[in-house]
Amino acid sequence: MGKGGVGKTTLSLATAMAAARSGHRVFVLSTDVAHSLGDALGRPVGPKPVEIAERVVAREVGALDELAQSWTEIQSWLRELLRDEAGEMVVEELLVFPGLEELLALRAICEVEATGDYDVCIVDCAPTGAALRMLRFPDALEVFMQNFFSLERAGAKLLRPLLGGTKAGRLLPSEAFFQAFERLYEDVRRVRAILMDNERTTARLVLNPTQVVIAEARRTFAYLGLYGIATDAVLINRVLPEEAASGYFERWSEREGAGLDEIAASFPVPQFTAPLQNREVIGTHALDQLAEQTFARTDPAEVLMHSRPFRMRKVGTETSIEIDLPGIDKEEIDLQNTGDELHLRVRDVSRRIGLPRSVVGREIAGSRFSRGVLYVRFCP
Amino acid sequence: MGKTTTAAATAIHAAKSGRRTLLLSADASHSLSDVLGRRVGASSVEIIPNLTAIEVDAHAEIKRHWGKVHDFLVSLFEHQGIDGVLAEELALLPGAEEITTLFAVDEFARSGDYDFAVVDCAPTDTTLRLLTLPEVAHKSVRLLLKIQRSLAKVMTPLAKGMVSAPLPDAAVFAELEALLYAKLRGLRERIVAEDTTVRLVVTTEKMVIEEARRAFTDLCLFGLRCDAVVINRLLPEAALREPFYREWGDVQKDRTVSIAEAFAPLRILSGVLQREEVVGATALAEHGRDLFSDCEPDALLASVEPISFHRKGDQYSVTIPLPGADLGALNIAKVEGDLLVKSASMNRALKLPRRMALLDLSEAHFRDGVLSVFFRVSPVGSAGTPQGNA
Repeated sequence: MGKGGVGKTTLSLATAMAAARSGHRVFVLSTDVAHSLGDALGRPVGPKPVEIAERVVAREVGALDELAQSWTEIQSWLRELLRDEAGEMVVEELLVFPGLEELLALRAICEVEATGDYDVCIVDCAPTGAALRMLRFPDALEVFMQNFFSLERAGAKLLRPLLGGTKAGRLLPSEAFFQAFERLYEDVRRVRAILMDNERTTARLVLNPTQVVIAEARRTFAYLGLYGIATDAVLINRVLPEEAASGYFERWSEREGAGLDEIAASFPVPQFTAPLQNREVIGTHALDQLAEQTFARTDPAEVLMHSRPFRMRKVGTETSIEIDLPGIDKEEIDLQNTGDELHLRVRDVSRRIGLPRSVVGREIAGSRFSRGVLYVRFCP
Repeated sequence: MGKTTTAAATAIHAAKSGRRTLLLSADASHSLSDVLGRRVGASSVEIIPNLTAIEVDAHAEIKRHWGKVHDFLVSLFEHQGIDGVLAEELALLPGAEEITTLFAVDEFARSGDYDFAVVDCAPTDTTLRLLTLPEVAHKSVRLLLKIQRSLAKVMTPLAKGMVSAPLPDAAVFAELEALLYAKLRGLRERIVAEDTTVRLVVTTEKMVIEEARRAFTDLCLFGLRCDAVVINRLLPEAALREPFYREWGDVQKDRTVSIAEAFAPLRILSGVLQREEVVGATALAEHGRDLFSDCEPDALLASVEPISFHRKGDQYSVTIPLPGADLGALNIAKVEGDLLVKSASMNRALKLPRRMALLDLSEAHFRDGVLSVFFRVSPVGSAGTPQGNA
């Protein structure tokens, strides 16, 4: 994860190369709509998995290709829906409705897992805003499924015989559509479980040692905690090597030192440094070299630090929830209890946390925020 | 890439030249505070005289804007035995946050006495699609409402025993539709207005350029006007003298040329890598002066009509304004996903929309300074011709 332009794709690929060198079978999946794997490799990568190096397979999730190839039910309904409305526009581009990209990205992770052919899957995420939307998507889908889906489905079932061959009938989604949707929902639930399993999934933050980027990465670190995703390393990209730090770059280099100190103080996880190269890093050879310089002997496929940012504790009759939210001010947290869910908002990001049965309906006895950890206690 | 830095430098420069300027962040992951070196929030803050800045808070905006939709959903949910919908839940629905942000941007821009509004947005995610699509969003919403309404008509009487929700009647739908339609139309008008333009920010890295080319095509596809590309982090002479950066200098020279070819006729603005990170109003003002050394930040920087894409049945076409060109001297080819247009005096490389990239070139016309290139579906079994001449 990281801000736009920090080098997420390059370091995802470098991580893949290093993991493959340690003997793992690696899958690299780009979920950024603006795919860059192909550009970084200097060869096309598409929606079909391709082998890019020994033991490394890459794929770019393409919404349009997915729609065209595997989602005939959903696609044909959308086409019908847009047929009279789109006029002379290039219809296919319009089929990508809000949420579809997030949905497909999560589903693609699920597919990699289902093959069982890989030891590790590296997800090259979109820039922070969009990546967080992807992580939030399961919550959104839950809202939709719980509240709208069954109603729509029952309605469509009732209406189908009544509307028959009329225009409104054509616009009615078929039962197959609902079934396709339900399968997707199951996939998304499965991926959520994978992502929140701190022993299986960790996030790596990519950043540059500059103020604006560090500030954003600090917030992202906390947001990941909010979603229950453990961050186990930061990858610092484009650090000036000694021979690049003099003359015009003297001030940069001084500031960079301060930036590196700040990174060390802000992120209590292992740090890896990828030096700025004297040419653009394109192609597997250059990526291999960068991997070597960045990870040395470390196997990046391992969980590099074990942590659980989201913890549920039971002491006697009292249940409490603890969430790591480093670098956040108390004023930036908003907490609401709806009875069966906790709505937690941290700055720009919110999450619905389904409560375990033992505390459903209980009042919050108290909450406190101290040293970057939020504690919520429930009444016994 | 430096999108936020560029947006802030543009706004500060405009404000310093006397324009009453508004600077808005519409990126879900705001960086404006970090770039300006001071906290900017959801309500306006004066940064320097003539310059107001805001980071749009989508959640708060949803609470404000979606009152009726919200009320409607609350009543629906209550009847299903759910305690009502929180704005937080509504905000989770895909697209809600992005479209609300756009409404807010539009409203803020209209609210004050501003001469110029600069919006910092994440161009390659869903926002772009929504930015380009109020018209389609409206049409889809209308259709969905149509279906809902026909469902409701039949179900209201039938559903009493079956579904616990009394379905809303046609009047509620009509009201919703009108509300959304008016808003979406207003938004679309604002976005395609003559005085609205998009500026792309790139660096000389290949990956970044490719991404911006795709964004440029998407913007053209949906009729948005772009007038300039900012090349950021250009290494100045003094930096290129360092031996370590020698190769970067050659790359930079080549890439500057290919950027000009890829984005013509857009104006190219050069943002030089400064001696230290550009943070705070003073450094940003200086950066803005450099960027706009020979033009005004609030002027339309390229006056040519935008490139546009069309479809009629199975025939797709693209029209490219090329004032002063001569069809006989043009060489037109499709290579992979790019449309190349060459003459003795110019080179263009336009990334084609995904659908059109799969088609074959069929013919080209040139009339009144506008080139039209047509595409057709490849005959079944043919591998497609990689190249063709007009």
